[in-house]
Amino acid sequence: MRRTFWLAIAIVLVVAYPWVFSTPFQQRLGALVLLYAIAASAWNIIGGYAGQVSVGHVVFFGCGAYAAMGAYTHFALSPLVGLPAGLVASVAIAAVIGVPTLRLSGHYFSMATIAVAELARLIVTNTDYLGAAVGLSGPTVPRNVFDLSFISALPYYYLFFAVLAVTLAITWWMTNSRMGFYLRAIRDSERAARSLGAPASRTKLYAYMLSAGLTSVAGALYAMMFGFVDPDSGLGLLISVKILIMAALGGAGLLFGPLVGAAILVPLEEISNSLLGGKGAGLTFVVYGAIIVLIARFQPGGILALINRLWAKRKTKQESKQGAADAS
Amino acid sequence: MLLEARDITKAFGSFKAVDAASVTLQQGDVLGLIGPNGAGKSTFFNCLTGDLALTAGKVFLEGHDITNRPPEARARLGLARTFQVPQTFEGMTVLENVMIGAFLRTSHRAEAETKARAVLARVGMERLADAPARSLGTPGRKRLEIARALATEPRILLLDEAMAGLTQREVQLAIDLVRDIHRSGITLVIVEHIMEVIMSLASRVMVFHQGREIAHGTPQEVTSNPAVIAAYLGTRAAAKVAAGHTPIELMGGPAT
Repeated sequence: MRRTFWLAIAIVLVVAYPWVFSTPFQQRLGALVLLYAIAASAWNIIGGYAGQVSVGHVVFFGCGAYAAMGAYTHFALSPLVGLPAGLVASVAIAAVIGVPTLRLSGHYFSMATIAVAELARLIVTNTDYLGAAVGLSGPTVPRNVFDLSFISALPYYYLFFAVLAVTLAITWWMTNSRMGFYLRAIRDSERAARSLGAPASRTKLYAYMLSAGLTSVAGALYAMMFGFVDPDSGLGLLISVKILIMAALGGAGLLFGPLVGAAILVPLEEISNSLLGGKGAGLTFVVYGAIIVLIARFQPGGILALINRLWAKRKTKQESKQGAADAS
Repeated sequence: MLLEARDITKAFGSFKAVDAASVTLQQGDVLGLIGPNGAGKSTFFNCLTGDLALTAGKVFLEGHDITNRPPEARARLGLARTFQVPQTFEGMTVLENVMIGAFLRTSHRAEAETKARAVLARVGMERLADAPARSLGTPGRKRLEIARALATEPRILLLDEAMAGLTQREVQLAIDLVRDIHRSGITLVIVEHIMEVIMSLASRVMVFHQGREIAHGTPQEVTSNPAVIAAYLGTRAAAKVAAGHTPIELMGGPAT
């Protein structure tokens, strides 16, 4: 009951945001928060719930982005047509990568995903069909509404909000299903989970494929908003890291963790970029590094886990007070 | 015959942890695996559950060859186990831990929860259902291991030192629980160091020493077997037994 109440308030706030903060910069910022929240929520399925820390998720992000721009560049179709193609390709790539790499444990899985991501970037950089180092562009002048090329950030804002809602709904449904339970069990002890009949490899693979598909949608939306993609913006390792840190900072393995993380990090980055201009790019890495250290040292569960704990503490305190009052 | 292991060998490099060990298990048996530290009983146990791949030999469940089946497939066929060092799912509640086991036989969350609650009631942990599993101490964790395994509706339950680290009183409670499980028709394999547990529960005992089976029989037969006494206590103690001391006393069992 109380949760429904807070959820309703959060939805109202998100819907009202671009009307309260109505400058183009603020609206664009809001849209970016939601976009990264989609990507981080998608990562959360495999990285948070299943505890398989993928640092190569940019492969799927890029896959979606290139599919959307490719549909326009090569076939003069709406980038929207590329989205399902990118999704299917991402799921297929995840299956191919996942079968050998998900057998690896802990850091080795992370390292393998980094290798795959860098490989993908190098291949694309040297493939003329995918624009090589220059990249691919979307329609310069929108032909119709289906090109999803708007000057204002407002349409993107609500589009991203809708996609985020779907992503979170899928995640929520998954966590309440047998698959979600199995993933959490595998994260804590794969050996015990298997001894109780959980098909660990298959469950992780499905989660990886689901996560990859949703990440590619985020990539496609990103390319549509910016109207172009190149190896750095579509396949740069920093994007993987960004997605990962957002989820970890907000709370990996928690439904709204990635959204909270994105709402903190994206404004931080945008503001530091606008203050420092081009020189800020290097500083962003420094900030990310510092955040990783701080999360790992003080709050591995993320901000949302901290809030939940404080909330629980307050509740028990209230209850014990209540109990004392009843007793007297 | 419910479970059969035929000439199981498990080598780590050139070292044979288990060397050509065989065992058969009938419905309703309680088989005890004993032996000094490093004798190979845990390795043998993990070969039965599928956690370790065999170097040689075969495992059959009701006549079907399950040698190459992974642990999750064996669980589906009715083989459940506990771990010597409890592998609790730390991020979950006690109830959710048991639900993981229950999900093997149903994909519906509500059904799994109902079943998990019933299992928790059976092992006397229903009041802890909603507690975080990480808040449990050793006795609670050991009991939770058993509850989780029971929730998979096993036909054979393999207990790996389920009572190590418990106090005398807790051991007694655990023995009662295992008896209750056996009475409900589940066949048991028990690896245990505590002699008292083996003596009061096992119908048959298999003794390991240096990777080989050196004796099998009823608990009484085995504990008076000179080879067993020599393996546990050395040849001098075996001589003492021959001179009239009760072997079970020397091996740390009840002085009766």
